[in-house]
Amino acid sequence: MSDVFNLLLFQNTLRTATPVVLCALGCLMTDQVGIMNIGVDGMMLMGAFFAVLGSYLFGSWVMGLLFATVLGVLLGLFYYVFSITFKSDEFIIGVALNILAGGLTVFLLRTLFGVKGSFSSPGIVPLPTIHIPWLERIPLLGPILSGNTLLVYVSWVLVAVCWAFLYKTPLGFHLRASGEAPEALRASGKSPERMKRLASVLCGVLASISGAHLSLGYLTMFSENMSASRGYVAVACVIFGGSNPPRVFLAALLFGFIDALGMRLQKYIPSEITSMAPYVVTVVMMVAVVVLRQRRQAARERAGRALDGR
Amino acid sequence: MKTGFMQSIRALIALKPRQKLTVQYLLSLLIAVLLAFLVGAGIMLLCGYDPIACYAAMFKGALGKPRAFGNTLAKTVTLCLTGLAMSLAAKAGIFNVGGEGQLYLGGLAAAVVGARLNGSPVWIVTAGALLAAIAAGGAYAWLPGVLKVKLKVNEVVTTILLNSAAIYFCSFMANGPLKTAERGIASGTDAITQTAWFTPLIRLSNLTTGVFYAAAITLLVWYVMTRSTVGFEMKMTGTNERFARYGGIRADRLALWGMVFSGAICGVVGFLEVFGLHHRFLTTISSEFYFDGMLVAMIMRYQPFGVILMSFFFAILNIGGSAMELSAGISSEVMLIVQSVIIFFMAAEGGISDIVRRNAAARRVRRNARRAQKEARV
Repeated sequence: MSDVFNLLLFQNTLRTATPVVLCALGCLMTDQVGIMNIGVDGMMLMGAFFAVLGSYLFGSWVMGLLFATVLGVLLGLFYYVFSITFKSDEFIIGVALNILAGGLTVFLLRTLFGVKGSFSSPGIVPLPTIHIPWLERIPLLGPILSGNTLLVYVSWVLVAVCWAFLYKTPLGFHLRASGEAPEALRASGKSPERMKRLASVLCGVLASISGAHLSLGYLTMFSENMSASRGYVAVACVIFGGSNPPRVFLAALLFGFIDALGMRLQKYIPSEITSMAPYVVTVVMMVAVVVLRQRRQAARERAGRALDGR
Repeated sequence: MKTGFMQSIRALIALKPRQKLTVQYLLSLLIAVLLAFLVGAGIMLLCGYDPIACYAAMFKGALGKPRAFGNTLAKTVTLCLTGLAMSLAAKAGIFNVGGEGQLYLGGLAAAVVGARLNGSPVWIVTAGALLAAIAAGGAYAWLPGVLKVKLKVNEVVTTILLNSAAIYFCSFMANGPLKTAERGIASGTDAITQTAWFTPLIRLSNLTTGVFYAAAITLLVWYVMTRSTVGFEMKMTGTNERFARYGGIRADRLALWGMVFSGAICGVVGFLEVFGLHHRFLTTISSEFYFDGMLVAMIMRYQPFGVILMSFFFAILNIGGSAMELSAGISSEVMLIVQSVIIFFMAAEGGISDIVRRNAAARRVRRNARRAQKEARV
C-alpha cells in the first residue's frame, strides 16, 4: 500500500480540492447574503470552457483566466438580475443555469471546435506551476507545498482574504448584514440589494475561476460535463463549514483527500466505487455536522434554561 | 448560525405550492416560449443556419411520421412521470432532486429481479420487477427524507449528492458483479425474457404498452393530489403550515411520504425504460431525464394537468432537436438552450410582471399629475 499513501497523495489532494475550494468560497459569499446558489456547478462548467477558449485562441493562460473572470462577472450579474431584481426562485434559476451550462458548452464545443465529448489541443496553454524555493527546502512538506499550479496558491490566499473581508472590513460587515438583517442595513442607509449584487458577482467570478483550474490547471482540456457535480459538493462544503472560509476550506480539503485517495486506490478497488466515495462521504459528513451542531445548540438551550430556573 | 440556506428553503416551501396556474401566467408562458424560440433563432442565424428550416425540421422530426410521433409520446410519458414525481414531493413540502439516482436504482432492481425470474409466468416477472423498482426507488428517497424530517439535513443537497453515488453504484454493478455474459453488451445486466417485453404500440417506435402503467400512475397522482384527503392536507400545509399543524396535520409525515412516493415513481420510470426499451439495465438508461421532468414541474407550478401538457411540448423540443441535428446539421443542444431560456423567463415571470405593472402605474400617476397641472393653469 506504500504506492497509495505517499507524498503524491497529498499533492493530488491539493489539486483536486482546489476547484472545490474556489467554488465553495464563491458559494459562501452568496450564502452570507441569504441566497442559495446551486448554479455554481454550471458557472464552474462554463468557466472551464471559456478558460480553454481564451487560452487556445490567444495562446496564453492569462487570457484564459481573463475570459473566465469576465464570464464570471457576467454570470454573477445575470444571477443577480434574475434572483433579486426579478425575484425569481433561486433554486429554479440555479438548476436552469446548470442546464444552460450543459447545453451551451456542448453546443459551443461542437460548433466552434467541431468535436464531440472533449477538446484538447497542444494550443491550449495550461496554468503555470510555481516553485517556491524557500518552501521547497522544508523537509517532508516542501514537495507538497511547492510546485503546484498558480490557482492552488491563489485559493489559499483567497481563503484568508475572504475571511478578512467578511469579518474584518466594514464592507464585509454590510454584506453579512444584508443576509441576516436586511432591514437594519437599509435603516442605516445602505442598500442590501447592492451588497447582494456584490456577493453574486464575487460568487460568479470565483466559481468561474474554479472551472478554469479544472480545465487549465488540473487537466489541459475541456470535456463535456467536466464539473461532475463538484459545484454541489462545494455547496455541501459551505453548509458543513457554516459559511466560514477557513472551515469551508478544511471541508473542501477533506473532499479532495477522499477524491485523491480514491484515484490512487483504483488499482485495488473498482474505479466506480472509488468515484462514489467522495459523494457518500460528503453526505455522511453533512449529516454528522448538522447533528453535532443541533446537539450543541440543544445543550446551550438547556444550560440557558437551567440559568433561568435559578 | 448561517441563514442563507435555511431561509431560502423555508421560503421555497412556504411560497411555491401556493401558486396557481392563472390565465395571466399561461399568457406569460406563451410569450416566454416565443421569446425562447427567438433566442434560439438568433443562435441559429449566428451559426449560419436557417432558423425556419431548423424549426420546421424539429416539428417534422417530432410529429411528422407515426414512428417519430410514437417516440415523442414515449418521451412525454417519461417527462410527465418524472415531473409528477417532483410535483408530488414539492406539494408535500420537500424537494426531491435525487430522482435521477432513484430512477437508476429502480431500473437496476427491475432488470435484476426480472432476469432472475426468467422462466416464470410473464405476470410474475413483470410484477416482481415492478415491485423491486418501487422498493428500490422508494427506499433511496426515504433516506434523504428521513434525514430531512428527523435531523433537518437539507434534502436538496443530499439528494443531488446521492444521485452521483447511485449512478456510480449502478455502473459498478453493471460492469462488475451483475455484468451479463452475453457478448456485445458493453456494460449491462442480463436480459429479461422476451415474452415479458412490452410490445410497441406504434411500429418501430419507443411507445410501448408501458404507457398504460404510466397512465395509471398519472391518474393515481392526479387523484391523490387533487381529490384525496392527503391532497387536501398537502394544500393546507402549503397554504398555511401553522394552521395545518393546529388542524392536526403532521407535516413531517406528509413530507416523508411525499418523498418516498416520489422516489417510487422514479423507480417505476426506470422499470419502464428497462421493460419497454433496453430489456436489461444499461448504464446509459437515462440522460438526466429527471432534471428535464423537474423543470417541467417547476414551470407548471407543480400542477398535475399542466405538467402533462408541458411534458408533451418539451418532448417535441427534445425528440425534434435530435431530428433537427440529423437533417439540418445544427447541434441539438441548441434546444437545451431554448428550454433553459423558457425556464429563466418563467421563473422571473412574477418579478417581471410586477415591474411592468409598477412602471405602468407610475406612468399613470405622472400623466394624471400633468393633466391636473394643465387644468390648474387653465
